[in-house]
Amino acid sequence: MATPPAPVPPATASTAPAPPPPQMPYKAPPFSQPPSTAGTVKAEIPPAAVSTAPPAAVAAAAAAGPATQDSPYIINVPSYSAWFSYGAVSDTERRLLPEFFEGEAGSRGPEAYTYYRDTLVRRFRARPARRLTLTEARRGLIGDVGSVRRVFDFLEEWGLINYGASAPGVKQGRDRREEAAAASQSSLPAGAAMSRKLCVGCSSVCGSAYFTCDKKNAFTFAYDQAEINICCRCYVRANYRPGLTPADFKKVEISEDAKSDWTDKETLHLLEAVLHYGENWKKVSEHVGSRSEKDCIARLIRLPFGEQFMGSKDQKLQFETDDDVADESRAEVSKRLRLTPLADASNPIMAQVAFLSAIVGSGVAAAAAQAAISAQSQVDMNDSLVDSSISSTKEEESPYTNGLSANDLLKEASANAQVQLEKEQKDIEQSLSDIVDVQMKEIQDKINRFEQKELLMERERQQLHHLRELLFIDQLAVVQHQSRPHPVIAENEEEKPKPVTITS
Amino acid sequence: MKTVSMGAPRSSTVKFRMPTRDNLVPIRVDVEVDGQRYRDAFTWNPRDPDTEIMSFAKRTAKDLKLPTSFVPQMFHSIQGQLADFRSYEGQDMQVKEKIVPLKIDLRVNNTVVRDQFLWDIGNLESDPEEFARTLCDDLNITDPEVGPAIAVSIREQLYEIASQSVSAMREAKMSKKRRAPEFASNSKAMNNAVDMFKYFGSKGSVIRKRKEWYLYAPVVDVISNEKTVVVAKDEAKL
Repeated sequence: MATPPAPVPPATASTAPAPPPPQMPYKAPPFSQPPSTAGTVKAEIPPAAVSTAPPAAVAAAAAAGPATQDSPYIINVPSYSAWFSYGAVSDTERRLLPEFFEGEAGSRGPEAYTYYRDTLVRRFRARPARRLTLTEARRGLIGDVGSVRRVFDFLEEWGLINYGASAPGVKQGRDRREEAAAASQSSLPAGAAMSRKLCVGCSSVCGSAYFTCDKKNAFTFAYDQAEINICCRCYVRANYRPGLTPADFKKVEISEDAKSDWTDKETLHLLEAVLHYGENWKKVSEHVGSRSEKDCIARLIRLPFGEQFMGSKDQKLQFETDDDVADESRAEVSKRLRLTPLADASNPIMAQVAFLSAIVGSGVAAAAAQAAISAQSQVDMNDSLVDSSISSTKEEESPYTNGLSANDLLKEASANAQVQLEKEQKDIEQSLSDIVDVQMKEIQDKINRFEQKELLMERERQQLHHLRELLFIDQLAVVQHQSRPHPVIAENEEEKPKPVTITS
Repeated sequence: MKTVSMGAPRSSTVKFRMPTRDNLVPIRVDVEVDGQRYRDAFTWNPRDPDTEIMSFAKRTAKDLKLPTSFVPQMFHSIQGQLADFRSYEGQDMQVKEKIVPLKIDLRVNNTVVRDQFLWDIGNLESDPEEFARTLCDDLNITDPEVGPAIAVSIREQLYEIASQSVSAMREAKMSKKRRAPEFASNSKAMNNAVDMFKYFGSKGSVIRKRKEWYLYAPVVDVISNEKTVVVAKDEAKL
């Protein structure tokens, strides 16, 4: 059978706890086995392995037939643990538990490891529905509890123990396994590249610095690094496997810049997205791509006119202060922004202004500057940003208007600007009136609906009145009948409904 | 048959350690909280960091569904025993070939094991774990918890002997007797030691006399549940 070493081969399925005879040292090339041809074999692919195992995922369960986790004859093993076989040590184990193979004999030697591992797996498989606890396991194992614990944790992490076992801790176990499988770069060859460092010891995100250990021994492969990253807390607490000393670890700083270097492209996307989606940060972060919502907001706030953007969205209908900025921003959005190198990244305001003016072109920038000047001379307080943009765009003007007469340019530019301004104003007025129309229509509809409702209510009220009158009549009839003397009162009570209903 | 004549037993002085291949410490924990009693015995590697003790205690409490009030006491108990062990560590201990009888007399769940055998405490490559494994396999002991109990029991006795050796050495040094320490250390443990000369001498043989067989034969009893309860009660009274 071409399956991976089946823990309970079909031949011995009838005797459930009987362990299989020791197999040949089976070296399974990880993740590359073809599915078994013998019968239906259940493919057990836990979520973590799906992302990392190749699509030709390995069928890993033992016996054919519908697999039920409760049946003792069928043991499910995740595909990433297909290397396991009794009596043989695979390279995965050598890599991940090197302390057992570093030449020590006895309690820390390979035989001890094999003994612990095989015994643990056999015990679990004898009762696969039940979760094997460490205490139970180490009480049945002759050896020091430290080593037993390590082997136990390793097996549990790799799903050879307590895989799918029913216990409250199982969900956490799976999560931990998935986390560990995702976070341990050394375990899986196709490990996902993490932009943030996850500590191997406590599975939390490393903060500003972390420690890495590059201890390689003869058994690491080229495509795998036995690299262990632990956060500062784990380093201090010595929360790494005992084979390592503090001297093995090197400190690595994570600077904020390295983590979040906003390129121009991203800033562009961000501004676009903000204008399109406004405050819908989810969409904004989608548009930007690899930035979380928080990052987007933070970045936007850090931009010098970020606040203005937020403001401009709200006050779209009012055109007092944010005229120029709105113009520029819309112009830039409509022009499908091109990438331009920022003039000077250190001074953010300068950078932004240079950026924008480079985008919109020299003419419009100059025009904007002119308009801003004129606006400023009339309206004083509102344009704080435009102030700065004036002074800086003025400075920026010179490199762009070299060789041309400033006056002519300005005149031309101002004329253009005027025209554009008027056009924009007309557009805005148009849209304003449209909006007002729409609102009115809405209100009209609402009024209509209310009227209809009133009609309905009126009708209902009349019906109610009618019913009430009827009821009153009935009551009268009843009282009248009651006052007449009758021989059998019981019969009357039965008969009364009849005459009453006839009259109604 | 040619007899092998042995010279004087070679002795050397080493730093204190368990006279076994692995330097593992036997730990016994007996904690009582609110009427609930937790007794356990296991082997610990003193090179493991102390953080492991806490996580081990927590995990054990969780696995056995003990209230968390057990954890600090467990932790202190284990840590105390480890500290005792470590306090011996810097000191010298005498190592020479010396055969001592070790005894096993324990009950684990339904199995009672009684045994007596000779052990060379000068053999620093001896392995109580292997001995326990072999014993359980050979005697067909089905309960897997018996093995570790045997191993721990052996280790405890070896630890006892080793620590006595250390204190004897210290006494010898302090009393400033310049004689060879072997004569000075005729303490109780050493008196039990078997004189190998008797066996390897011209008139001896290493084969045990038949009449002594019964002394050294292991006895394994699987007792019924009712009897277990009775025995447990007796033990609790002690």
